[in-house]
Amino acid sequence: MSDGELAIPFRQRAGSALKDAFLQEALTIATTKFIDLRREAFEDFPEGEALRDRARAIKEATLQRLDHYLETLIANIERLGGHVHYAKTSEEARAIVVDIARRTGARMAVKSKSMATEEIHLNEALEHAGITPVETDLGEYIIQLAHERPSHIIAPAIHKTKGQVADLFGREFKRRVEADPEVLTKIARDELREKFLQADLGITGANFAVADTGTVVLVTNEGNGRMVTSLPRVHVALMGVEKVVPSLTDLMVFLAILAKSATGQKLSVYTTLVRGPRRAEELEGPDEFHLVLLDNGRIAQLGGPLREALSCLRCGACLNVCPVYQQIGGHAYGYTYPGPIGILLTAMLEGTRSVRDLAHASSLCGACADACPVRIDIPRMLIALRREVDEKKIAPWVERVAFTLLARLLTRPALYRLAVSAGRVLQRPFVREGTISRLPFFLNDWTRTRDLPAVAARTFQERWAAEQGRTP
Amino acid sequence: MTTKGEFLASIRAQMRTARDLFSASVAKRPEHPAAEADTIRRELAERWPAILERFRVEFERVGGVFYRVTSLDEVPAVVGRLAREREARGLVAWHAAALGADLAPALEARGLDVHEMPAGETAAAAERERLRAITAGADFGLTGVDLAVAETGTLILVSGAGRPRSTSLLPPCHIAVFDRTALVESLRQVGVLLEAWHRDGAPPATGAVINFITGPSRTADIELTLTRGVHGPKEVHAIFVEQGIRG
Ligand code: SF4
Repeated sequence: MSDGELAIPFRQRAGSALKDAFLQEALTIATTKFIDLRREAFEDFPEGEALRDRARAIKEATLQRLDHYLETLIANIERLGGHVHYAKTSEEARAIVVDIARRTGARMAVKSKSMATEEIHLNEALEHAGITPVETDLGEYIIQLAHERPSHIIAPAIHKTKGQVADLFGREFKRRVEADPEVLTKIARDELREKFLQADLGITGANFAVADTGTVVLVTNEGNGRMVTSLPRVHVALMGVEKVVPSLTDLMVFLAILAKSATGQKLSVYTTLVRGPRRAEELEGPDEFHLVLLDNGRIAQLGGPLREALSCLRCGACLNVCPVYQQIGGHAYGYTYPGPIGILLTAMLEGTRSVRDLAHASSLCGACADACPVRIDIPRMLIALRREVDEKKIAPWVERVAFTLLARLLTRPALYRLAVSAGRVLQRPFVREGTISRLPFFLNDWTRTRDLPAVAARTFQERWAAEQGRTP
Repeated sequence: MTTKGEFLASIRAQMRTARDLFSASVAKRPEHPAAEADTIRRELAERWPAILERFRVEFERVGGVFYRVTSLDEVPAVVGRLAREREARGLVAWHAAALGADLAPALEARGLDVHEMPAGETAAAAERERLRAITAGADFGLTGVDLAVAETGTLILVSGAGRPRSTSLLPPCHIAVFDRTALVESLRQVGVLLEAWHRDGAPPATGAVINFITGPSRTADIELTLTRGVHGPKEVHAIFVEQGIRG
C-alpha cells in the first residue's frame, strides 16, 4: 500500500477489506492455522508458562537499566571491529544507511525481512540514492514486486493468492508461470540466488542483540538471514533500542518461546548469532559490520504510557487472535505495524494523533494479552490511548459530547431515571425486535456497525424495586 | 547526526522519569559455566541413548533425515548412496581437521567430486571468490556438528577456520556428521555451553557466526503452503557415529 492510501479514512479502508472475499478467506485460514499451531506448541511445552513470565521479567529488567546494557553492547561490538550508529529519527536512520551504501560503493542491497527497515521506509531512500534494494524473504519479495506493504508481521503476503503471485512473476520474468507454490518458490530461489551472490550490501533487522557478547541475532525460516550476513562485503543491521538482551542465558529464554508463539515451531529453521565482521581465518562474511540503533519514538516511551509495548518480540500472535485483524487484515490499519500491538506501536512512532481512528479498532476482548508470549497488557494501553485521544480533543466531537453526557447521567441516579423514561418514548420509531439498528442524522455513526439494545420496558432497577415491594 | 553521548543521554533522561512497572531481574547466568558444562556432559554421558532417540524424533519431525552408523568408515557409503539417488556428485566439505576425519579419499572412491575447504590460513579475496563459486555450484555440503539439541532437533554449527558458513547453506543438500560429544538435551543446556564458550574462552571455533539449524530451509509465504528449500538447503541429513568421530 502506498502512503497515499492513508488519505482514505480508516473506516473506508476497513470497509473495502470486509468486501474483499479472497482476503476474508485468506485471513480466516491463516489466523486459524497460526492459532492452532501456537496452541499445540504450548500444550507440548509445560514449562512454557513459566518461561513467558521469565521472558517478560527479563524485558522489564533490561528496560530498567537500558543505558547500561546498550553501552555494554556498543563497547562489545566496537571491540569486535564493528561500527555503531545512532538514529533519533527515521530520517537519520535512512541517512546513515544510505551513507554507508554510498561510501562502500554499493549498487545493490539484499535485505532479509525486517520490520524496522519497513518502519523507516528504507527502500524508497535507497532507490532514491541509486541503490537497488532487493527483499529476499519470499513474502517480502512478492510484495516488493507488487509494490505493496506487508499485511502481517510474520507472513507479509498472506493477502495474495498463488494465482496472483504467478501473474506477478509472469509479468516480472516475462514467461508463463504455473500457480504452484513449489514452482513459484523455485523461481524466487533462482532469481534471488543470483542477487545474493552479486550484492555488495546486506541489510537486516535484529530479533535480539546480546549486550554481553556483542551478538546480533536473526531468526528466519528460509535462510535469507544467513545469506545476507555471509555473502555481501558489508552488513548493516538496524535495530530498535529495546531489542537488547543482557546475556546469552537470557537469549535462550526468548528463543524457547518466540517461534512457538509465531508459527508453532519449536525453533525457527535458522537462528543466526552474528558477532561482528568476518574473522581473518574465515572464508566468508562481511569485511564491515554496522549496527544502527534506532530511537524513532521508542526512548520517549521509557517513561511514557506505552512502555510495556517496548517488550514486544514482533511474533504476530496478537494479530492472529484479534477479531478485528481477523476481519480486516493488515493493510486496513494503514501503517507499518498492524493488529492490536500495531496500534500502540503506531502511536509510539507516529504520535497519538495518527491513531485517533485506530485507537478504536479493537474490541478490547483481551485475546491479544492472553496470546502474547511476554504478556503485554495491550487492552490496558488501548484504553489509555482512547482516553488520551479524547482528552486531546482529537476524537470526533459527537463522540466526545455523547460520552461526556453519558458520564454525567451515570453518576446522577435521578437524572438517569428521567433519561430512561424519556428514552422509552423517543426510541419508539427506531426499535425493531428489541434492538435499534438505525439512528437518524449523525447518530447513525454509532449504529452503522453495531446494534443498540432498546431501553427495556421495565429496567432492572424498576423490577428490583417491585420485587422488594417498594415503589421506586 | 546524533552522537553516542546525546543518544545515551536522552535514554538516561527518560529513565529518570520512568517508573518501573514491577521489580524484575534478568535470567541468572551460570556462575561457573565451564564447570556446569562439565556436569551436564557427565550427566548426559550416562543417558545418551534416550537423548539421541529424542533428537531423532524431533529432527525427523522438522523434516531432517537421520542415520545411525557404527563407525566413521560407514559414512562414505551413506553419502555415496545419496549421490547415486540424486545423480549428483559435487561435494564441498569442511576441512578434515574441522570434520574430525579425512573422508575425501573414501568419498572420491565412491565417485564423488570432493572439494575440501582450506584449513584456515588467510585466503586472498580472489581465492575466497573461487571457493564460493565452487560451493554455490556443489550438490552436497558435508559438515560436522558442535551441538545437537534433542529438545528441538537442532544442529548448532560454529563458523571458523576450515568450517565455512556456506558449506551448510549454499548446496541444496546438507549432510552433517556428529557423535555423542555433541548431544545435549535442552535449549537451557545450550545456554550454559554458549556461556562457557564465551566466558571461559574455549569455543569450538573462533569465527563470527554461530548457526542453529532446525531442519531444511522452509517457507509458508504463499497461501501457507509449506515449501522446502527456499534459500538454504532443501534437505538436511544427520549421520550419528556410535563409536565417535575422533576415535
Ligand atoms: S505484542 Fe506480544 S503477541 Fe503481539 S507481536 Fe508483540 S510479543 Fe507478539
